[in-house]
Amino acid sequence: MIKIFFIIALIISPYGFSSEVYKFKSVNDEDRFYALIHEIRCPKCTSGSIASSNAPVSEDLKMKIAELINQGYSDTEIKDYAKKRFGKDILYDPEINSTTFVLWFGPFIFLTLILFGFLLRRKFK
Amino acid sequence: MKNLIRSLIILLPLFGIYFFFNILTEEKFYPGADFRSFEVPNFELSALDLDVKYTSEDFDNEFLMNVWASWCITCRVEHGFLMKLNNDGYNIVGLNYKDNKSDALGWLKKYTNPYSLNIHDPKGSLALDMGVTGAPETFLVKDGVVLVHYSGEVNKVIWDNVFFPIIKENKMFQ
Amino acid sequence: MIGEISHFFTIIASCLFLLSFIFSTRTYQSNHNIEILVSRVFSYGFYFILISFLLYVWLAIQSDFSIKYIAQHSNKELPVFYKISSIWSAHEGSMFLWILFLALWSQLFNINLSKKNILKAPAIGLLAFILFGFLMFLLFTSNPFEVILPIAPINGADINPVLQDPALAIHPPFLYLGYVGFVIAFAYNTAFLIKGDMDINWERVVRPWSLAAWILLTIGISLGSWWAYYELGWGGYWFWDPVENVALMPWLAGTALIHSLYVSSRTKALKSWTILLSISVFSLSLFGAFIVRSGIIDSIHSFANDPQRGLYLLGFSAILITISLAFYAYRLPVLISTNLVASKSKEAFLSINNIIFATLIFAVFLGVMYPLIFDFMYGERISVGPPYYNTIFAPLTFLASIFLVFSVGSLWKRSSQLFFINSALSASILLSTLITLYLVSLFNDFNWWFVGGLFSSFLILFRYLILIIYSFYEGNYFNKASAIAHIGLGLLILATTFNASLSYEKVINIKPGETYTAEAYEFTLINFDLINESNYDSVRAKFSVKDINSLNKVFFLYPEKRKYFIRGQITSESAIKITPTKDIYMTLGDQLDNGYWVVNIQYNYLIRLIWIAAGVMCLGALATFTQSYSKK
Repeated sequence: MIKIFFIIALIISPYGFSSEVYKFKSVNDEDRFYALIHEIRCPKCTSGSIASSNAPVSEDLKMKIAELINQGYSDTEIKDYAKKRFGKDILYDPEINSTTFVLWFGPFIFLTLILFGFLLRRKFK
Repeated sequence: MKNLIRSLIILLPLFGIYFFFNILTEEKFYPGADFRSFEVPNFELSALDLDVKYTSEDFDNEFLMNVWASWCITCRVEHGFLMKLNNDGYNIVGLNYKDNKSDALGWLKKYTNPYSLNIHDPKGSLALDMGVTGAPETFLVKDGVVLVHYSGEVNKVIWDNVFFPIIKENKMFQ
Repeated sequence: MIGEISHFFTIIASCLFLLSFIFSTRTYQSNHNIEILVSRVFSYGFYFILISFLLYVWLAIQSDFSIKYIAQHSNKELPVFYKISSIWSAHEGSMFLWILFLALWSQLFNINLSKKNILKAPAIGLLAFILFGFLMFLLFTSNPFEVILPIAPINGADINPVLQDPALAIHPPFLYLGYVGFVIAFAYNTAFLIKGDMDINWERVVRPWSLAAWILLTIGISLGSWWAYYELGWGGYWFWDPVENVALMPWLAGTALIHSLYVSSRTKALKSWTILLSISVFSLSLFGAFIVRSGIIDSIHSFANDPQRGLYLLGFSAILITISLAFYAYRLPVLISTNLVASKSKEAFLSINNIIFATLIFAVFLGVMYPLIFDFMYGERISVGPPYYNTIFAPLTFLASIFLVFSVGSLWKRSSQLFFINSALSASILLSTLITLYLVSLFNDFNWWFVGGLFSSFLILFRYLILIIYSFYEGNYFNKASAIAHIGLGLLILATTFNASLSYEKVINIKPGETYTAEAYEFTLINFDLINESNYDSVRAKFSVKDINSLNKVFFLYPEKRKYFIRGQITSESAIKITPTKDIYMTLGDQLDNGYWVVNIQYNYLIRLIWIAAGVMCLGALATFTQSYSKK
């Protein structure tokens, strides 16, 4: 057993192995990370997520988010962290609440109203 | 009903035009000013010029924090005003952001030091925790709570219109 | 000298267009000669603006830096191709191109439309008015002819290196050709509304022009998406950025328009919808131009820019849109069809289509406007991005797909047979359900949008496949153009669904000699090359990539980091390997202190299919031209 291990170690030793910049304890955490960085806006750019930006503050924020994930913070807590420091507009997801009601439900209401009008007109003709 | 739709077809665009006209002509003052308040986060970082470590305990109750760096060109322009504030008795804490210690100390020597104490934040960890995106930026803090976060150069115009009203309102620096 | 001539010719063109417009207002006296004059004066106007633009191109090629705009955006070292494309790289020059294309489309229409068409004079007059208005905007607020006095600089500034790219150079021309192409429908329909003669067959005129514009707009948007993918380094193809969205809205309206036109040209139904859409497409193009050029979207982050340009565009667009909508509202009672569409007829399905597209346009509009409205009302900034748009678009797309599939084989003016007995439909539903279940469990992704996307796309693909096979067997007629275009749609939904679900991304630290294994590929950084080009220096990495699943075949990828001399700008050039199922996408990040480099590896599944699908849709639209002619 040990001999095999030794031989394998000898074979792979000439190759150095690089590593991930953002390390996580599980694949789920990693998926969460990559999903989050696409939803958080780069604080310094006109537009774009921190995933697509290599501005220093974006890099710092990505590192921080990876840290927070590894420390066990949830997605909501991480988003709150970003919101508190950079403002609500750092999230590309305008959360659903009383002020964004029109935004989220507007299209649905619009569709229903027009469909209603369309069908009502048929009924009364 | 039909007439309602017909009038809406005209009215909605007119309303839209009115709305855009207002947005185009409204004056946006001081876009760098952010008045959302939050608590100063905990931290432990080395001092720039002394062999000690600072935490949030080392702060006064009321102070200004200025984010600066030797590579920041606008900071040199702002420096004169910071010296004036210092002379007027305002307590300014320096947060040296993503800077090399010797470069930063050299800068202070060349331009003189307006800061009561200076934190060295080479990785920008405290800066990130406070929502800093670059230099220069200035915070107004009272009792551990940030009241004003200004991004950009602080000069007399900004001071009079952004900081001073808040200082007066909260009866600070008396 | 040439600069002055070019400037002068533009001024002459403006006067000629104004004249053409004034003549068109005189045609109420039913003077046939005036009508010919409208058309002829317009032609002269076109020639002057064309020559003016060609002279300007000459100035750009000759690197005449006495012209401020050329000095600001071009450079002696640029290849000729980019010297020309630098013309439309910024506001003034691109506005000039926009105007040229407006004139071009209008002149083609002018030549093509029969003199006997009673709407010709008012339509041309209106086009002349639009051109005049934009030329005034150009000459007074955005003048590309401004001169640098007294001495011209020896060399110009460089254009942003990111713009020195073939796809990005041709993306604006295609996009503008598409946007402004819909002005024909707008002008002709507005002339129709003003005239008020309901017997005029406007659909026959408007349809081919709208189809052509739609094809060009689709190509323009696809080029932009493709460029963003390979150039910007983040591996995405659509970000729902305000600038992208304002191009999408005319496209959505244009798609609805060509469908609605299909109905209106054959039956009496949907005329009111079609005209409204016709007005909307160009109005949305105007709105897009306003949003992008007024700086209003950026005004959230900065002081309001010189509001003069925004105000002019707002005012001029307002005039055009309000006038056409006013006449629309005025004529609405006679436009609305007295008869209802038969239930479950083709007209009925296309009515539903219009409603769904209207909702999509409304959703995008809401998303673009909301940050502005929110800031205005609450003084707080908010961002609306992909999470919103994807959530709204997906269900609506699935809904539209279902209606689409039900509509295949539906009949004009009467109900089609009961749905579920229709074996083709049942077979499609069954097949797509099976394949969806299979793929969902294979990829272990149970997200609602993955399931919905797969089901919708396969539903469309199977339905049309069955249609094609059946019609081939039975030898009966089916609308081939529609089949091709909608198969393109099915492929688009399939590609975007897979791409969203299977994307893989990893950021790694690596130095020469090291290897990283990412799923089925082994990446080894061999070394770096230093390259010196005429306008930049670059560091180019050489990666050998081993395909573990494919007999260890090896290929090479060369991501690069470039530093351009003139602006000191640093860009990252991505390296892409295209495989049948995915793109292997690498970008080079920063160099760390310890000799390690940050490298980004992505696998983008089925991303090529997205643009192929767009191409298929365009082919389908092109095919309608051959069909229309043969049907006569």
